[in-house]
Amino acid sequence: MSNGFPQALQFSFADQVNRMVDWLVLHYGDHLRSVSDQLLQVLVGLENLLRLMPWWLLLAVVGALAWHACRSLLRSCVLVGLLAVIGMLGLWDKLLQTLALVLVSTGLCVLVGIPLGVVLAARPLARRLVMPVLDVMQTLPAFVYLIPVLMLFGLGKVPAVFATLIYALPPLVRLTELGLSQIDPSLLKAAQGLGATRAQRLRRIALPLALPSIMAGLNQSVMMALSMVVVASMIGARGLGEDVLAGIQTLNVGQGVEAGLAIVALAMVIDRISQAYGRGRR
Amino acid sequence: MKRGSSLLLGVLFALGLAAADSASAADQKPPIRFGALTWESGAFTTELLRVIVERGYGYATETLPGSTVSLEVALARNDLQVIAEEWAGRSPAWVKAEQAGQVFALGDTVKHAEEGWWVPAYVIEGDASRNLKALAPELRSVEDLKRYAAVFRDPESPDKGRFLNSPSGWTSETVNSQKLKAYGLDQLYTNFRTGSGAAMDAEIGSAIRRGQPVLFYYWNPTPLMGRYKLVRLQEPAFDAQAWATLTDPANPAPKGSSSLPAKLSVGVSKAFREQYPDVTQVFERVDLPIDTLNQALAQMSEKRTPPRDAALAFMRQHPHVWKAWLPEQVATKVEGGL
Repeated sequence: MSNGFPQALQFSFADQVNRMVDWLVLHYGDHLRSVSDQLLQVLVGLENLLRLMPWWLLLAVVGALAWHACRSLLRSCVLVGLLAVIGMLGLWDKLLQTLALVLVSTGLCVLVGIPLGVVLAARPLARRLVMPVLDVMQTLPAFVYLIPVLMLFGLGKVPAVFATLIYALPPLVRLTELGLSQIDPSLLKAAQGLGATRAQRLRRIALPLALPSIMAGLNQSVMMALSMVVVASMIGARGLGEDVLAGIQTLNVGQGVEAGLAIVALAMVIDRISQAYGRGRR
Repeated sequence: MKRGSSLLLGVLFALGLAAADSASAADQKPPIRFGALTWESGAFTTELLRVIVERGYGYATETLPGSTVSLEVALARNDLQVIAEEWAGRSPAWVKAEQAGQVFALGDTVKHAEEGWWVPAYVIEGDASRNLKALAPELRSVEDLKRYAAVFRDPESPDKGRFLNSPSGWTSETVNSQKLKAYGLDQLYTNFRTGSGAAMDAEIGSAIRRGQPVLFYYWNPTPLMGRYKLVRLQEPAFDAQAWATLTDPANPAPKGSSSLPAKLSVGVSKAFREQYPDVTQVFERVDLPIDTLNQALAQMSEKRTPPRDAALAFMRQHPHVWKAWLPEQVATKVEGGL
């Protein structure tokens, strides 16, 4: 197996990593569990809130949002129809669980991603340091960090949110940074000349101008969050991904296709609405 | 517990095998192909049998990876000759091939293999050395779980306990879900599907290391069983009629029963059985004592030994176990190579 490369130069740090994970679990496991319980409260709360809503109210809210975003009756109807079909397939409750997961992780993405993007656009050194980290976040196979995260934070929704966050954050950061760095510098200079403070320049000029790019990033984040749903179900987070997984594992192709298409439908609904908002405010 | 598989994988695998087949057809005696099993006891047994076949009989062997179902399909087509740990009778692919006479389950390799519900011993007895109190001192059987739902609290719905079921898609997941109903626990415990075997092991391992109570489905022979002190909760004795209600997910009123006693065998193809009668005889006599096996597996997983080294170490430590299966001169030959 390793004959090609000289034996003397080979090394492995697997043991150290294993020992460190064990040590972390032993010493910080309980503390981290209580942190994760707090986050869990938010998630379960949101889920229960969605459950309290009658189904037609949720459809109406989505319809209103779609109308507000794109001002097209046909499109709103199609989007509401897509969601209704998920309900008709008997996947309503799973849809709500997935939606709660995606909403919470996207919310966290916005909280972390946009400020980070702003910092990166302003500070070239930070940009050079953080970019490789973003690469790692996007390419490291999820299970490599999921299992340790799971041992520390417990099985279920919380590690799923972390995994989604790690995977879905980079596009938002990248596109925020891109949008901000593409603004014509003379505009900012002019604002400075008129006496605008740094915060005012950011809020009144830079962010509105970069909004299409930021919304595109947000849209990408949501899409990636949805694509993580199946991986999330592999660590015990319930939702649409669970049905996909069960369908695959029992060769129940039909069940897998139903749940898979439900994920696609949800993605399309969120995508069309968020894209319309990105375009509309230009 | 049967690892699930996807149809696509099976097809790809079969295609790959077909290609490999024609390439090696020129050789006079192709090596005996073993399925590369991924779970610990499977990997261990595979290596153990390979050592015996290679050193005792001088046949070359090799392994091929694949998921359980694709391996079973490959065995039926003789693209593969041996599956060292076959939970015979559990998967439709196997049952069909066995009825058609394409595959054979040899021997009863691990007696008293079992599956059921377990808790760590410290939950019942406490552990003074780790300063753990006995949280459920009278927990003996699944009946008693009704009283202790608060001990196994589920953080996602704190008024219930959490039962770690196997991942959705495993046959055992259906059985466990039905058992929860049968034992009247479905209102008291969340039926928590763990999503994947790795996630399940990580959660159990983490809970045990932190000394937290945890209630889970598991099976034998596994490293976990040899590594930690665990207690299996008593269930009503096995009853075929009740078992039928447990395996049918649509049955609204299942009856409680222990799981069908597991029978582990060596799976071989028809061609192998005809070609290698000497080795077939040995496989029929394979008998691994479960406690010794669990301990060997625990050591293997704790020290992260490659399965081959673990098998060799096991053979050195417990010569009486495997010598009993072999004719004397073969046994001497194998021992000489250790």
